[in-house]
Amino acid sequence: MLIDIKDLYKIYHEGQESEVRALDGVTLQIDRGEFVAIIGQSGSGKSTLMNILGCLDIPTYGDYHLDGTDVTELTDKQLAHIRNKQIGFIFQGYNLIPALNARENVELPLIYQGVGMGQRHDRALEALERVDMADRAGHIPSEMSGGQQQRVAIARAIAARPPIIMADEPTGALDSKTGRQVLEILHSLHADGTTIILITHDNGIAATAERIVRLSDGKIVADGTREEVGL
Amino acid sequence: MNFTQAFKMAAKSISANKGRSALTMLGVIIGLAAVIILVSYAQGQNMAMRAYYESMGTNTINVSASSYRGDVDIGGALYDYCLQLDDLVVGVSPTGYLYSDPTIKFGSKTISRQWQSMGGGAMMSTGQYPNLILGNDKYGLCNDYVIAQGRDLSYLDVEKESKVCVLGSAVAEELFGFADPVDKTITVNGTPFRVIGVYESKSGTINVGGGEDAQWIKDSINRQDYIILFPSTMTRLFNNNQPIDQYIIKAKDAEALKEVTTLVNGFLAGFISQDNGYYYIDNPTNYQNEQAEADKLQQRFLGGIAAISLLVGGIGIMNIMLVTVTERTREIGIRKAIGAERKSIIVQFLIEAAMICGIGGIFGILAGYLGTLIVGKMSFQTILLPSAGITVGAFLISVALGIVFGLYPAVKASGLQPVEALRAD
Ligand SMILES: Nc1ncnc2c1ncn2[C@@H]1O[C@H](COP(=O)(O)OP(=O)(O)O)[C@@H](O)[C@H]1O
Ligand SMILES: [Mg+2]
Repeated sequence: MLIDIKDLYKIYHEGQESEVRALDGVTLQIDRGEFVAIIGQSGSGKSTLMNILGCLDIPTYGDYHLDGTDVTELTDKQLAHIRNKQIGFIFQGYNLIPALNARENVELPLIYQGVGMGQRHDRALEALERVDMADRAGHIPSEMSGGQQQRVAIARAIAARPPIIMADEPTGALDSKTGRQVLEILHSLHADGTTIILITHDNGIAATAERIVRLSDGKIVADGTREEVGL
Repeated sequence: MNFTQAFKMAAKSISANKGRSALTMLGVIIGLAAVIILVSYAQGQNMAMRAYYESMGTNTINVSASSYRGDVDIGGALYDYCLQLDDLVVGVSPTGYLYSDPTIKFGSKTISRQWQSMGGGAMMSTGQYPNLILGNDKYGLCNDYVIAQGRDLSYLDVEKESKVCVLGSAVAEELFGFADPVDKTITVNGTPFRVIGVYESKSGTINVGGGEDAQWIKDSINRQDYIILFPSTMTRLFNNNQPIDQYIIKAKDAEALKEVTTLVNGFLAGFISQDNGYYYIDNPTNYQNEQAEADKLQQRFLGGIAAISLLVGGIGIMNIMLVTVTERTREIGIRKAIGAERKSIIVQFLIEAAMICGIGGIFGILAGYLGTLIVGKMSFQTILLPSAGITVGAFLISVALGIVFGLYPAVKASGLQPVEALRAD
């Protein structure tokens, strides 16, 4: 089992009147090589779940085992290593560093891995090639369209060749055509064996996944194929 | 992540935020320039005064003493008394001056006092005329003169009223040029005197720097090279045997000087009362100490101002680093999400801070040099430059400032949860 969470809670302002149970007892298992879409209404807890799965946030209660390791026991430094090597994150807002050009942005995870300069350049260009952005390697984010920026962000996520890609509404800010392109890239990565976890509120996009998880008020209310979930 | 990479990253982010970087640097530039200029100014000023006091001889006291009663030989008594203090006193010598202004000749060279009428019967001395001094074998020692050629006065020269003299370097040059004056005979108002020695120049060895008083000090030191020393017993020949009423006493060290001053004071008090004479003890070392005290105060004051300006610069750095961190919280979030360790973030921000301050420091040093040159020109009329020590020290301080004041924001930034940092915009 690659991802194994049990009775996961994320509670903001616990015990106060303003208490929010962003995750309210979530149990979920994801196998290596799956393509999982997480859907649900806005505020249902999708991003919260994804951030915890991606080791960007910590749960209030519950267990999380990633590839057999109890993540809740890890130090800051060990978590940084997991984010660096195991997981590639793609955000709705691209999250590129404005001062760096496309190639430099893609190189970042490799820099933190200590990969030497020559190899870094090659692998960054390779990743940009993969998303068809190699010709824009020298451009900074403000010189690129949203779709192009998101493709660079994908290149950055795959540069370190992590076994898992997590994407939080990667098409949310894109028009449907560029959204489709991004989705195609994710599917081709999946075809190469990468585990993909994708958050979306677009049922059409979710329908392309082999497994769909529906969240509502911090709880999983449906989990299965497109037909089983009722899309 | 290695250091070269971190440096490149820092350079990148400094140039990406030019305005803010420039603002931070400005704080460092102003702080450093102020420190350099103030410290250099203080050094320039102190250098001149120190040189002046050094040229006057160290650990000496000047005594003026005279008795109205003809039968008391104060000079002899004081001399004998000082000989008893031989564990405290290095030497004692009378210091007399020739009342007349005799004409001094060697071959065709003549030195005489030139007078010019100022109208209304007033006369003014013009040109250089040497200081003609009556002293003993310890006069040179007491006044920090060193023999360059020949020998100094001896005890016997004084005892036997020998017609000999020792020349200051400026007088020797004027009368003899490049020739060796030793054993040549000069005439003083026609009386032949054999030159037995020449003193080393004092002005050549003392650096007066470029202080306000530099010219005056230079002149005063030059005048000390323009002397002729005769045996004190020549007062019979030159001054109608008028007793010499001034003495210089040189003590072993600063500690002994205090004791000697007290002892000589007591000795003279037992000798002379208000109605039968007078005495007065002058202690140049006192001025020197007072001057040193004043220098210290001034340095502390200027140092305080400099420290405040550095502190203000430092607070500016910290402030801007904090702003930077806030502004770039999202970037920190991205870096952490991608796998940056806490350490990498801290190192990145520290290098950035040190680099901004280092660059600011270089400009600050340039500004400090320029400012010091201007200040030197305006207040000392000379080319004053900051010392190498100050320059290097200032640069190190500026980099240290960056690291010290960059540390807090860097640690703060690195401690954020990635998800919290990413939420910022
Ligand atoms: N830092 C926070 N403090 C308080 N409440 C939060 C915080 N982050 C998220 N929430 C709340 O948790 C719930 C789930 O949010 P989120 O996971 O972002 O939803 P989704 O991504 O499905 O739209 C929402 O009600 C949201 O308001
Ligand atoms: Mg969301």
